[in-house]
Amino acid sequence: MGPEVVLSHLHRADGSATYTHNGYCVIGSVNGPIEVLRKDEQPEEATVEVNVRPAAGVGSPKERHLETLLHNTLRSIILTRSIPRTLVQITLQIRSLPEEDSVLGVNTSLTLLPHLLNTSLLALLSASIPLSTILTSVLIAIPSSKNAIPLLSPTAKDLLRAKPLRSLHVFAFSGDRKLLLNESYGSFGYEEWDDACEMAEEVCCKEGGVELSEGMEVEGQQGNLEEWLRQVVKRKVEREQRWRTAD
Amino acid sequence: MPREVEVSVNERAFIQQALQENVRLDGRAFDAFRPLELTFGDEYGVADVQLGKTRVIARISVDVTAPLPERKFDGIFQIVAEFSPMASPAFEVGRPTDAEVILSRILEKAIRRSNALDTESLCIIAGLKCFALRADVHIIDHDGGLIDASCIAVMAALQHFRRPDVVVEGEKATILSVREREPIPLSILHQPLCVTFSCYEDGERILIDANLAEEQVRQEEVIVTMNRHGEVCQVAKYGGATVEPLALLNCINMASQKVKEISKFIQTKLEEDAKKRDAGGLMAELSAENER
Amino acid sequence: MSVSATIILPGDEIPSSTLPQPTNKKKPLTLGPGLRHIPPDTIVTTVAGALATDTKKNAVWVEYNSGRYLPSAGDLVIATVNNSAAENFNCILTPNTPPATLPHLAFEGATRKTRPQLYPNSLVYARIFNAGKESSPELTCVDPSTGKSDGLGPLKGGTVFQISLGMARRLLAGRKGGVIVLEGLSEKVGFEVAIGRNGMLWVDGGNIKTTLVIGKAVQEVDEQALGEKGQKKVVERVLRGL
Repeated sequence: MGPEVVLSHLHRADGSATYTHNGYCVIGSVNGPIEVLRKDEQPEEATVEVNVRPAAGVGSPKERHLETLLHNTLRSIILTRSIPRTLVQITLQIRSLPEEDSVLGVNTSLTLLPHLLNTSLLALLSASIPLSTILTSVLIAIPSSKNAIPLLSPTAKDLLRAKPLRSLHVFAFSGDRKLLLNESYGSFGYEEWDDACEMAEEVCCKEGGVELSEGMEVEGQQGNLEEWLRQVVKRKVEREQRWRTAD
Repeated sequence: MPREVEVSVNERAFIQQALQENVRLDGRAFDAFRPLELTFGDEYGVADVQLGKTRVIARISVDVTAPLPERKFDGIFQIVAEFSPMASPAFEVGRPTDAEVILSRILEKAIRRSNALDTESLCIIAGLKCFALRADVHIIDHDGGLIDASCIAVMAALQHFRRPDVVVEGEKATILSVREREPIPLSILHQPLCVTFSCYEDGERILIDANLAEEQVRQEEVIVTMNRHGEVCQVAKYGGATVEPLALLNCINMASQKVKEISKFIQTKLEEDAKKRDAGGLMAELSAENER
Repeated sequence: MSVSATIILPGDEIPSSTLPQPTNKKKPLTLGPGLRHIPPDTIVTTVAGALATDTKKNAVWVEYNSGRYLPSAGDLVIATVNNSAAENFNCILTPNTPPATLPHLAFEGATRKTRPQLYPNSLVYARIFNAGKESSPELTCVDPSTGKSDGLGPLKGGTVFQISLGMARRLLAGRKGGVIVLEGLSEKVGFEVAIGRNGMLWVDGGNIKTTLVIGKAVQEVDEQALGEKGQKKVVERVLRGL
């Protein structure tokens, strides 16, 4: 099952998306380009602001850490130089987490990170903020039992069952198959990491690079994230242009 | 510093003129709420309220801590309503606006201080351990009527929430997880709900559930909090103009009726949700029996 | 115009085969919104939407209808006056963006003495004179070549309705936009409208009821993406109601 998406549903924000996948639900909104506070203004580029708001309670160092990771990654794909002296404000509200998330006993910022990244990209697309490329992100978990197969985009239940875990990896790829972000946790060797990275690339990026066709291809049960993103955008375009075919 | 945009003079004049002709721009009657929707999350204690274009999510969470030294027999209950840039870029993180302060204060007065929740029931061991309940109010979309929508969301979430059961042996308390024992609902003493009245033309015209544009044009607001038994929990009035005592009484009468309707609505939604959950619960019980 | 348009994501390269093949070789290729040129000859998209081309104008752009309005020279907009400075009015095009400037003298026949007095929060129908990322946009209410207002200037009375950016574009595109609801209504009722590319529609029907139904009708056509038939139904219903 691919992630479920509702696009541009908030009427005050310039762009918005609700993303539901594996029991995680995140509401993302983007405002921009808007006026930036004097102290944050940059003469040559746009300022990017990321707010991660937890489902319950006030933001903790965990949210601040996620904000930093998101900020650095998103700033690298937003064409900040084409909208200088403005602000792009990204707000991510975590709506729900899977029940098992609190008892996983692993680094929960990693299990959340890919969902936050995918939500922010969708919200940015919805706000039509100029981007140099897209971004897709996935989580890979390596159980500690010998010869265990790495788990691709596991649910919280999968992780609980596979415990103890040796390592967790989050990868994010750009549209041209470049690694944008990697966060890994646990103990692992280079080869293991390389395998995980390859596996993630397979899921995130479409085979054969970028081309302008729309054949829907599903690889295994997981499906391809870039293909999924194209389908989301296709639905968005169809919705926007339905007046052309309506009677 | 970013500011909330003001409504243009044309719109202001238009809304006022329309009100004089007894017309609201969205075609509603003066005493009508916008379409209200309420959904519950998969987890207990999450209520998603949509009032027209306004959308608020309330989430209840629970923790175990030591009670306040001056209130040894009471649990802790806290409501946190914080605006985020999601609802409007004019909301800055960490810098509350007047509207935010008013919202927090009204929710505090309406729900917490009216003793809607029996905090004594949250006490586990007097002076040592108690449940700390927290209601987070997330404003997702803002088109006016935040106070009414937030209050509905918090009250619905409180009634929907289930806290884990606890076993006390002497000075040792064990919190039983959801898997071990069915969690239990909160003890709610009454259900206060807010109705906001917006006044125009020195109290000549009074609207219920104004949207953002109407809120910006109003002279003042009167917020009445009542429960379905017709008891007034709180009355607040903001803005410069004066209100006739009779008009105020009229507001309270109207609020009483609206609160009854909304209470009933919440009740129906809660029952629907319970039915949906019970279907699963019953199945689970059946399958457990088969195993034995 | 087909719906099976090419769907593009940011970062997609536009192959030269999909670019318009101009009949007139001399006309340079024009890149519209959502595209950027990376020298020497790569064209890359920056937003998600559908690719659109015009062979006659030798232009290519991305069609999308979401996000904030970005000012572009020549656009007609409905601006809200924020305050008046020494030489110009500061106007807001979209909430929370830096103000656009409208010189006091950029009105038909305006001199130091006869310039219009505009108070904060009043509405002006204006054209964007220039806009660039380097400076705040500049507005004007006169055609610089003729000195005439061409219908631009302060908007008195009536009210504004929010419409989508795509709807504003369609309303201003005339026949091609496929919006006939205003034409249909104008056969029976008299009213004035001004369409701002920044997603605003100003309507004055002389009285509250007419203004409201006209604004609502356009919003309905926008939200439900009604075709010609649907729009005719709306017109009939509205006229019956009046």
